[in-house]
Amino acid sequence: MPESIPAPLIIDTLKDTFREARGGSTRDPLGWILSVPDTHQKTVLAALDKERPLRVVTCATEDEANAIGAGLWIGGEPCMLMIQHAGLYASVNTLRGVSMDGKIPMFYLIGLLSRERDREPRESRHSMVRFCSPLLNTFGVPHAIMEGPDDVHFIPEYFRLSRERRGPTAVLVGLETS
Amino acid sequence: MAMKPEDVLRAIAAARGDAICVPTMTTSPAWRTLAPDDLSIGCVGFMGGASSLGLGLALATPKRRVIVFDGDGSLLMQLGSLATIAGAAPRNLTHLLFKNGVYHTSGAQEIPGGLSVDFVTMAKGAGYRTAYAVAELDDFTRRLPSMLTDEGPLFVELHTGLADKTPMTDRSGVPFNQQVDNLRTRLTKAG
Repeated sequence: MPESIPAPLIIDTLKDTFREARGGSTRDPLGWILSVPDTHQKTVLAALDKERPLRVVTCATEDEANAIGAGLWIGGEPCMLMIQHAGLYASVNTLRGVSMDGKIPMFYLIGLLSRERDREPRESRHSMVRFCSPLLNTFGVPHAIMEGPDDVHFIPEYFRLSRERRGPTAVLVGLETS
Repeated sequence: MAMKPEDVLRAIAAARGDAICVPTMTTSPAWRTLAPDDLSIGCVGFMGGASSLGLGLALATPKRRVIVFDGDGSLLMQLGSLATIAGAAPRNLTHLLFKNGVYHTSGAQEIPGGLSVDFVTMAKGAGYRTAYAVAELDDFTRRLPSMLTDEGPLFVELHTGLADKTPMTDRSGVPFNQQVDNLRTRLTKAG
C-alpha cells in the first residue's frame, strides 16, 4: 500500500540533492524551486516558505517554470520544477522545445492529485492520473513514482539522471504529502 | 512613423556592453547579423517563452544586465509572465516589447486587440518597477542608457514596424541547443 511522504523528508532530500549538484558547497541559495502551486504537494510548499536556502519562484504557468529553469541552468544555477500532472499536460510543448530540443536538464516533481490509495495510477478512475506516465513514456522522459518515504532516493537519482542525459526526468508523487 | 526594429537593435548592440540578450521571433534574424556569436540566446518555437527565459538568466546572473526582446504576439502567449517577473523582482532585467500589432512570422495576422493593447498598463499593473512606451528612435536612443542601468524589472513598449526578415524567411542561425551550450559555457566560465 502506498504511504504519504512527510514534507520535512522531501525538503531535506531536496537540500541534499542541490548540495551535491553544487559539489558540496552550501552557498545561498542552495537551489531554486520553480513552482506552480499543487494541492498534492501543499505541505511541502508551505514548509518551503520557511527554508531560505531553497529559493522558491511561484510561476503563473508550467510553461514559464520550464523556461525560467532553462535560464537558471544556463547561468549555472541548480533548479527543479514542482507541478501537478495537469500542469505537465498544459506544458508539453515547452518540455519538448526547451528541455528536449535545447538539451537542458530539467527535473520535475509531479503530484498525482486524486490518485486513489488502493489503485495503481494506470487503473485510476481519473484520466489526469492515468495519462501521466503514458505521456512521459511517449516523450521518452525517464520517471519513477514515489510510493512512500523509502522512495525519496528517486529524487537525487532522477535529478542526477536529468544532468547526465541533458534532458527532462520526473519523479511522480504518489499520495498527497503530509 | 513607427521605428524600424533593425534601427532599435543597432542602437542596443552599440550600447549593451556585456548584457545577455534574449531575442525572439522577428528580432532574431536581425540580431544574429548585428551581434553574432555573443552573449545571446534566441527563442523560436516555444510559444512566448522569451520573458521567462530572461527571468531565469537574470536570477542566475544578478551582476549582469539581461535584456529580453519580446514580441506583442509572443507576450500574449505567456502574459502571466509579467506577474511572475514582477513577483521575482529581478533588478537586472530589462524587458523590451517590440510592438507591431501582428504575428509577423506567421503572415502578419493581427494579434487579438491589434495595436490597441496597452502593455504598459499591464506591466505596471503586474508590478514592474518602471514601464513606459517609446515611439521615436531619437527618444529611444536618448533613454537607452537608463534602460540598461535603471533598477528593474523595467518594461518598455517600443512602437515598431515590421522587420525585414522573420525566422520563416531567414532560417539560418545556430541551433537552439548549441546556443544553450555556448551561452552556458561563457557564463559559467565567467564565474
